[in-house]
Amino acid sequence: MLKRQASGNKVSRQTVLCGSQNIVLHGKVIVQSEAIIRGDLANVKTGRFCIISKGSVIRPPFKKFSKGVAFFPLQMGDHVFIGENTVVNAAVVGSYVYIGKNVVIGRRCVLKDCCMIEDNSVLPAETIVPSFARYSGNPAKLITTLPEATPDLMTEFTKSYYQHFLPTTVS
Amino acid sequence: MAYLTQPDYVKYICSCGQLKPITNLYFCRHCLKIRCGFCICHEVDSHYCANCLENMPSSEARLKKNRCSSCFACPSCFHTLSTRATLARDPAGGDGKPPKKMYYLSCFNCRWTSRDVGIPDQPVASGGWPERTNPFTSRFNQLLEYYKAIAQQEKQEKLDKERKKFVTRGKYINLTDKTGLTGAMARNIAGLPSSESSSTVISNFVPSQASADVEELPEDYHLKEIDLKQITRMSQRTSCPELQPSLASRLSPRPRALCVKRSQRCRACDHNLTKPEYNPGSVKFKIELLAFYHVPEVKIISYETIKPGGTSALLLKLSNPTAHEMTIRMLQPEDVPDTEEEHKTIEKTLEKSLSLEKDVSWNACFPRRPPPSRAGSVGLPAVSLTLAQRDDAAEYDDEPPGDNDDIILWRKSNKLALRLKLTTDPEARVGTDAYFSFAIQYSYRNTVPPSATVVQHSDHTLYTTVILDLGKVCE
Amino acid sequence: MSQNIKILPGATVCEDCTLEGDITIGGGTVIHPRVTIIAEGGPIIIAEYCIIEEYATIIHKKAEKAETQETPPKPLFIGAHNVFEVACKLESSFGHIGESNVFECRSFVGVDVKIGSGCVIGAACQLTVPQTLADNTVIWGSEHHNREALEKQPTQLLQLDFLSKVMPNYHRLRKPNMHKRLPSRPSQDTAK
Repeated sequence: MLKRQASGNKVSRQTVLCGSQNIVLHGKVIVQSEAIIRGDLANVKTGRFCIISKGSVIRPPFKKFSKGVAFFPLQMGDHVFIGENTVVNAAVVGSYVYIGKNVVIGRRCVLKDCCMIEDNSVLPAETIVPSFARYSGNPAKLITTLPEATPDLMTEFTKSYYQHFLPTTVS
Repeated sequence: MAYLTQPDYVKYICSCGQLKPITNLYFCRHCLKIRCGFCICHEVDSHYCANCLENMPSSEARLKKNRCSSCFACPSCFHTLSTRATLARDPAGGDGKPPKKMYYLSCFNCRWTSRDVGIPDQPVASGGWPERTNPFTSRFNQLLEYYKAIAQQEKQEKLDKERKKFVTRGKYINLTDKTGLTGAMARNIAGLPSSESSSTVISNFVPSQASADVEELPEDYHLKEIDLKQITRMSQRTSCPELQPSLASRLSPRPRALCVKRSQRCRACDHNLTKPEYNPGSVKFKIELLAFYHVPEVKIISYETIKPGGTSALLLKLSNPTAHEMTIRMLQPEDVPDTEEEHKTIEKTLEKSLSLEKDVSWNACFPRRPPPSRAGSVGLPAVSLTLAQRDDAAEYDDEPPGDNDDIILWRKSNKLALRLKLTTDPEARVGTDAYFSFAIQYSYRNTVPPSATVVQHSDHTLYTTVILDLGKVCE
Repeated sequence: MSQNIKILPGATVCEDCTLEGDITIGGGTVIHPRVTIIAEGGPIIIAEYCIIEEYATIIHKKAEKAETQETPPKPLFIGAHNVFEVACKLESSFGHIGESNVFECRSFVGVDVKIGSGCVIGAACQLTVPQTLADNTVIWGSEHHNREALEKQPTQLLQLDFLSKVMPNYHRLRKPNMHKRLPSRPSQDTAK
């Protein structure tokens, strides 16, 4: 079951989009079943060609101040892949970012353009992941760098994912 | 993206003999050769802190021992520490005064705080954190000075020797003979420390002495019960080599190590292969000569299981990443003409003879030929194939009918799929890796004129060898 | 299974979650959507000012052997100010979970784990062997390093305040159905 929108977004009917008026999917975005996007806490914006897999939770992070608490808007760039059952509490996710499955991205993390978080990693709160870094482990550490062609690889990957995406029609 | 998430099934042979996936290779447009991270020269362009994205000049970075001045790493789990504010009330009963903001460092991963080890809260958010001084600082500096002096002396000696050699060889009068300018005076003029001062450093240096009397261990050393929460782990100690705290209460925040942006240079022709933009947040490059943009890309679509003595089908996808039409011919790896013998141009030898003083021994790379133990051979089409240029707008066009035949499965803008036949050796042992290899001859149009005098594009015929990993030989 | 869900006034409980068995939810507690709480081995009592986030699972498991099953079944009491982050799982049946603990994202606490107060179970940490966590224990990383924090984890009262104001605007909520305080609860709360 799929909701197809004029903008080319493909959003499963089994997702939980809280506060959908605060969620902006910038076109050709896939949101798969059982994913949760918490637009009720703060604005969530994604770029084009983002893939949000099954069971993942996109959740704007909060920060405590001396007077009260605020939820930060969550921004995501273009060509971002988020694997299954991943929790994203980041403040900013850049473009061309690959996040594997079962990953936990801590509160207020900043993922710069062109980075990769491997499967089953845990990024502690307020981590800043620089460009072309590949992080892995719990707590995630930089293990190696990504090739210079990563933007093209990610673009190709998300575009072909979108073009070949066939939703399951099981209701 | 499969390149990042899957093992590398298709590998190219670099001109130095390394096997690498195409994404890790570079293509020098001046030598027209594939290069890899092992056979190129890496240069540090700029230092920056990955956490605050602040650029730091290299001289300052050296002074600060390549560490950021405002970001700290947790001594307990090495995650970056965050600065947190609290409202501190004056303990001395200062009522009426508004509570002051005080800052402390805290780790969001292991919940370590600077209060855990008794570092007092600071009134300013950044900097001002007390540094634990190394008790051996003066000795370190002494050693450093000593070795610097020795290095200086050796350099001087080498220079002198060279000059002497020169004098004995040539019969011309040198500058010193003519003007009476001595080496010491020249050094003074150049602002270099005179050799006398370095010699005093060397003569004044006292080598350390081993001593036999060592402090006794406390009585209860072996009897005391250990509380693991109060003792540091090995990784915590080695993260701070100059102090190596053994107690958790002696841990102190470490300034974060800097990152570098680097550019890469071909060793053979000294041209840049990659050069990133200066801004640490940028992912763009000023120069980006990647094999991914210049060499035809081979991808495996599917293949039948490899059985000893049998034949299996292999589907490959070839794509042309360049902006020019490409003619491709597939060859057996043995049939690649040996281009290793460089046709040395006169300019090159001349250049080499001129750059006498430059030590070039370090940039020689030793090519090696990997023995591709192959499980069989690939049946290759005898015809040459033409691949259209890369066209980003093509995805919006309607597909033109492809020229399907028994070899070409389909064609789509700059890509085509091939059906090839694999013949496995009857001797191939079951369970061994099934490697197959073939070479590609491809036409390449170089849009960069090699020198100012040649203006027109030059077309080249280049070769590359590809190794396919097709799993294991099955029964 | 008897459905007996008691929600005290001041609690914010989303309708889109699975609550089974005898469950009491204290005032000021916020339960986000897609939470699963199953009380099959006995009642679950959640005290005040807890936060339970999406895909969190709290199960009071039935004892595996019938003879060890206590009668009447012992309740699982979860103290005040606990935070259950996204997709964490708690199966502990040790009668009592202290207060001000943080169960981080994707953490797992098995059946025979006893938890004090002020503990932090780090993200993706799996506690499966029988153990007792002393107060203020912090567990983190794939190697399950642990250390003792200097002080208790700060309360999330400000966040709770925000959530209980904002969530009713966006979610269908379950209505509170209790009006008086439970007599069995320890008296350290300040619920209205």
